[in-house]
Amino acid sequence: MKDRQTAHDRSARLRQALDQCADGDDSGIAAILDIEGRQLLGVAFRMLQRHDLAEEALQDAMVQVWRKAGTQRADSGSVRGWIYAILRNRCLNILRDGKRLSTLAPADLALVQEARQQIVPTEGWEILAGSSKLRTCLDGLDAPGRQAILLAYVAGFSHGEIAARQNMPLGTAKSLIRRGLSALKECLS
Amino acid sequence: MTGLSDDIRDLASDYVLGLMPEGEMRLFEELIQRDPELARHVGDLRDSLLPLDLSATPRDLSEGFAESTRALVQADAADGPAAPGPANPAPQHAANITRPPSRRMTGLAAAALVGIAIGFGAGGLRPQPEPQVIAVLLDDQGVPQAVVEDYGNDTATVRFVAQIDVPADRSLQVWTLPTPEIGATSLGVLDRTAPTRLTFDDLPGPMAQQLYEVTLEPAGGSPTGRPTGPIIGKGYAAPQV
Repeated sequence: MKDRQTAHDRSARLRQALDQCADGDDSGIAAILDIEGRQLLGVAFRMLQRHDLAEEALQDAMVQVWRKAGTQRADSGSVRGWIYAILRNRCLNILRDGKRLSTLAPADLALVQEARQQIVPTEGWEILAGSSKLRTCLDGLDAPGRQAILLAYVAGFSHGEIAARQNMPLGTAKSLIRRGLSALKECLS
Repeated sequence: MTGLSDDIRDLASDYVLGLMPEGEMRLFEELIQRDPELARHVGDLRDSLLPLDLSATPRDLSEGFAESTRALVQADAADGPAAPGPANPAPQHAANITRPPSRRMTGLAAAALVGIAIGFGAGGLRPQPEPQVIAVLLDDQGVPQAVVEDYGNDTATVRFVAQIDVPADRSLQVWTLPTPEIGATSLGVLDRTAPTRLTFDDLPGPMAQQLYEVTLEPAGGSPTGRPTGPIIGKGYAAPQV
């Protein structure tokens, strides 16, 4: 009950913060960082494996949140989900911008790439602690599909990288991921 | 049961999982803005997967991070989109994408137009008047940069669907070519890539295949009244009514 109340409060506070951003009041950005900043940075760090890159992605994401605040629709998912989606997109921008990564020393870049290989454990659903509907549903997917979805969502791997890592043709990887997500959605609903 | 096609659902899956190339992603976001059912579908998918984000270990922000982020958005509000990251004003790099557009890009552009038409037609959900034509403006690599909707009553809107860095001493200018006799005519000058409503005077109603383009011009707009700068994107009008 308390958890539900907390979640409800957070959701209302995030909505209010986003409304402030849409009105041009940057205290909305401070509020979002206050409510979600540590968790957001955790997501960015997990994907990018460097604190400086993670903060760059988070800052970049907050600029996007600021610019797009007026476009988030109350009837299309939570504000929280929307903000995390923007953050993950900014992380992907950094990962896929060869020029950005080339500013890292080769040894540092190698460390990042090495660490990224370890983000998703072999039994992917272990990433979710405790018991949850999502964990149960991930558990119900076949292992390659589950792994591919997690490599994409959690680690930011591209279709090509997933195909190479799973040792399968690109087209197979693409359809595996789409089928997997569709099955996951069905299980969750 | 929903009315989204399997193709659009597949694209939504790729989008939510971060598997869509940037150019396609921006066009898909345009489509999401237009189609409430798609927006709900994407929102549901995101919320379903959100526990994965919450499984990351939280991490402390550096001292002063919130303050510097606020300063950054204040600067953004004052100066237009001064997006962080490497400044890259050269228009040939504006799309940040050098590979040729994929074949499915064309399909996605078509889907966007269909989606726009469906969005406008869906039971009067949208009170705005319908645009008479829509043009998706592509750069020289075929990557969408902007979408122009011309309402035929001397108003049009432009939305940018790619990251375009506008140097401080430059403006973006939107043009159309109503007829060869009239020649290229300015629809408006912009200093930033925010969605903008353009109003202009006494142009003939827009026609199918009419050319629209955005160029990078000196601050305040072209000094000659004709396009002088590099083309950011151009495209031809598709009738909507």
